[in-house]
Amino acid sequence: MKRVGKGAGLVVTLAAAGLALAACGGGTVNEAASSSAAPAPAESSAAAPAESSAAPAPADCGSWGVAMHAWVGYTASAQVLSDVAREKLGCDITQTTLDEAGVTYDAMEAGSVDVIIEDWGGGRWQEWVDRGAIVEVGLNGNVGLIGMYVPQWMCDEYPDITDGTKLNEYADLFKTPESGDKGAWLEGPPGYTTIGEKLIEANGLNYKIINTGSEAALIEAFTKGNDNKEAVLGYFYEPQNFLAKVPLCRINFPANDWTDAAKASGLTDYPETPLVKLATVKLMDSGSPFATLVQNFECTNEDQNQVALDIESGMTPEEAAQKWIDANPDKVAAWLEGTGVS
Amino acid sequence: MDVTAVLRLRWVQALIVLVVWFVTATALKGVQTQELSTATDSPFTAIMRDAAASIRGNRTESFLFVYVFNPIRTVISGFIEIFMGVIAVPADGNVIPLLGWFGTLVLIGFIVYATSTLRMALVSMFLMLLCGMLGMWLLTMETLAMTIGAVVLSLVIALPLGVWAGLNDRVMKVLRPWLDLAQVLPTLVYLAPLALVFLIGIASATIATMIYSIPICIRITAHAIKSLKHGPIEAAESAGSTRWQVLTKVQLPMAKSTIILAVNQTTLAALSFVVIAALIGAPGLGKPVVEALTIRNVGDGVVAGLAVVILAVMLDRSTSAAVSRDQSGYAAADAAKVRRRIGLAIFGVLTLIAIYLSRYLLVFAVFPERLNFQEPVAEAANAVSDWITDNLGFLTVTGSEFFTVWVLNPLQDVLANSPWWLTLIAITLLAFILAGRTVGILVLVLLALVMATGLWNDTMLTLAMTLIATGFVVIIGIVLGVWAGRSSRVDRFLRPFLDAGQTMPAFVYLVPVLALFGPTRFAAIVLGVVYAAPVVIRIVADGVRKVPKESVEAAISAGSTNLQVITKVQLPVARRSILLGVNQGLIFVLAVVVIGGFVGAGGLGYLVIVGQSKPELAGKGLAAGIAIVLLGIILDRIAQGRPQKGPQDRH
Repeated sequence: MKRVGKGAGLVVTLAAAGLALAACGGGTVNEAASSSAAPAPAESSAAAPAESSAAPAPADCGSWGVAMHAWVGYTASAQVLSDVAREKLGCDITQTTLDEAGVTYDAMEAGSVDVIIEDWGGGRWQEWVDRGAIVEVGLNGNVGLIGMYVPQWMCDEYPDITDGTKLNEYADLFKTPESGDKGAWLEGPPGYTTIGEKLIEANGLNYKIINTGSEAALIEAFTKGNDNKEAVLGYFYEPQNFLAKVPLCRINFPANDWTDAAKASGLTDYPETPLVKLATVKLMDSGSPFATLVQNFECTNEDQNQVALDIESGMTPEEAAQKWIDANPDKVAAWLEGTGVS
Repeated sequence: MDVTAVLRLRWVQALIVLVVWFVTATALKGVQTQELSTATDSPFTAIMRDAAASIRGNRTESFLFVYVFNPIRTVISGFIEIFMGVIAVPADGNVIPLLGWFGTLVLIGFIVYATSTLRMALVSMFLMLLCGMLGMWLLTMETLAMTIGAVVLSLVIALPLGVWAGLNDRVMKVLRPWLDLAQVLPTLVYLAPLALVFLIGIASATIATMIYSIPICIRITAHAIKSLKHGPIEAAESAGSTRWQVLTKVQLPMAKSTIILAVNQTTLAALSFVVIAALIGAPGLGKPVVEALTIRNVGDGVVAGLAVVILAVMLDRSTSAAVSRDQSGYAAADAAKVRRRIGLAIFGVLTLIAIYLSRYLLVFAVFPERLNFQEPVAEAANAVSDWITDNLGFLTVTGSEFFTVWVLNPLQDVLANSPWWLTLIAITLLAFILAGRTVGILVLVLLALVMATGLWNDTMLTLAMTLIATGFVVIIGIVLGVWAGRSSRVDRFLRPFLDAGQTMPAFVYLVPVLALFGPTRFAAIVLGVVYAAPVVIRIVADGVRKVPKESVEAAISAGSTNLQVITKVQLPVARRSILLGVNQGLIFVLAVVVIGGFVGAGGLGYLVIVGQSKPELAGKGLAAGIAIVLLGIILDRIAQGRPQKGPQDRH
């Protein structure tokens, strides 16, 4: 008992000595890294790759949080944004992986996340805007299209399956043990905008909703459906580079007449959604060059797919983003306009 | 004879209820099932939705938030960030935290040495080095910092409460229902309400961890104090010591090794929370695991999962070593004491040097890329997972479809696709028959509450999956448990798998399971089985091992075959452990079947998840959490069966 007491005492003494030692500055790794003469610590996974030539004083930009969402397209855009901010503006960027919508808006209100670079939510954030936590920062250039899809081979075999109102003729094809005597309708993951229940009810479709719970589940299902020629009807969306690997074919309902999913009649299809950038009021009011970058950030579906495809084929998000940044200097320069850096 | 007659009668009663239930349910299939589409609110979930919206709206102004919740949040995150800043998170513009990796590594070794043995210190350092070699150094340190912070906070609250509860039966009586409740609560359930109040981030994650680990700590501490021998205490009292003196000079020192055990269990409980905590924005090893689910990179998830397992082994072994050192340490000779003191001094100096080096030399500051084997390990894991999916896929798909059609769907028809009142009456009757009148009434009330949430149908879907998974778990648990209990070689072979199974976060095998079984309820059942089986195997094996050798030998010398020994001697004698195993299995399964919401299993788990991300469905998510808790209590109470006569403590 006494001895362990001493052991604990020793630990405390040592810890105190260690901290005192650690605190006395002068020539530590940290200072070495921030002075441009020393070689950048390329090994560090956490630290920004400090390119001595372009990096201005970090104090100008500050520390900001970028939300990371699950789908690879989002990862692509957010990684490019983060890396441009780190390299060109010297910002300290923390990436936080979260489910989209509610959870992330809460994180923004709490202050741990500042930017969502691609939001599909269709105004679900209004409550947070009203409370002065979040602002819309305009469109990010991507256009999203949600819909119900089947593997391409099904459209080749059954040409009029693409007409959503005739889906009942094919319900038998989609029966699984999960859906019983109805066709299985694989619905999108929890956070995604979905109106499957309404489409089924309004069109009188003989299908049962299977809530897939994650995008991984959908991708597994479509991959299997394509490889083994199994019938699969499921939720999917563009831009998604998965479509380049596994060809899917979209089921169409009559043209859309809604923007707010909560008010959709269910008779009409999903709309084309211009995707939105969201940021905290704190960031946009800060005067940081990062706010300007977020304001200017814009890319096409094609840009995003290039990066996403590289990630899917084995590059790390950092490598893929770097490759795109190096290949598109003029686009990056346009984003940096007004930050005082080029 | 009388007792068996009564038993048989109960058994017959239960059977009659089941048959009548099945027949009526088949006749009334699809009638009054209370099915509710995901987007529709029930009266209760609408109330919850409005409550959630009003809480979110009041965060900045309401008195409770300004003076209670927000300060708590600030203090807790500040506390955790201290640990983070020392070992895990570099300050703005810095490359390393206060200590570089090498300094942290040696410091961990020193702390382990000071509390247990040199050998354990070296083992711990080696294990931490492995985490670094998996490319997970900083993430492991984030998790370690969060775990340490949460454990310290838990102990500050739980140890005094535990001691008090151990000294005073009345305190225990007040605490017990809360302790019971916290143990049946699946972890996913408290995330949403906590995030609502304490926002997304470290504070919510830490509080969630504490809710999970504090009850365990209180229980063990109270038990430690309570089970002390009375002799020394009475002696001290008669020598005129005050109560405080008795506590600090006699009771606490005597209970010390059990209390260290409480620290051990609290630490493991806290660590088992890291992955779930990542769902509400906690940093650390949970992050890559959750990411792996969404971008389907099994390999990266496995690597992070391995780091979690290694960290768990390190914390478990080093804290248990502290327990055993404490038990054996009193007798050490003076020479040994001196030697140890010299050893500590040398190690201490080395630690200071290491810390110094880790601040000034890049190799010792940032974990060297040359030692990083993350990629090959991740690729190997991916290869294994791909091979299994490609080559075993046909087996699993056929198996799961057969099972779904012939077992799961019929059970679900009876439980969920029949009139709600029929299921309610049948379950209540079964509770009466199997667990007695008190439990029967309790179950009736709880079921009525489930009905009131408006989520009856979803609750019954979840119940069907839970029951089937528990069935599997019990079969596997008894077969392997008996085998391991009878043969120490089997036990030794199984042990690492059980360790890994218990600490490997369920999220890690979500993707392979998904690839094998598709988005189905069966996938959720498999998740539950993989997670719960190790616990049940362990409990059963323990029970079998405790069967007196004499009874086994007597049976063998009377000419019993192996099978007879098992069925006539070992299983009956180990009956208590097996029942405990069933009970634990049920609770564990329920906790993970909820996660099945991520793999298309639907039910309450899906509602919890969807409620987190869609603000308009927040009410359904919160109500689903409540329904899960109600279901957990119902299962727990029925599985405990009739109160046993004898020394067992009654709830």
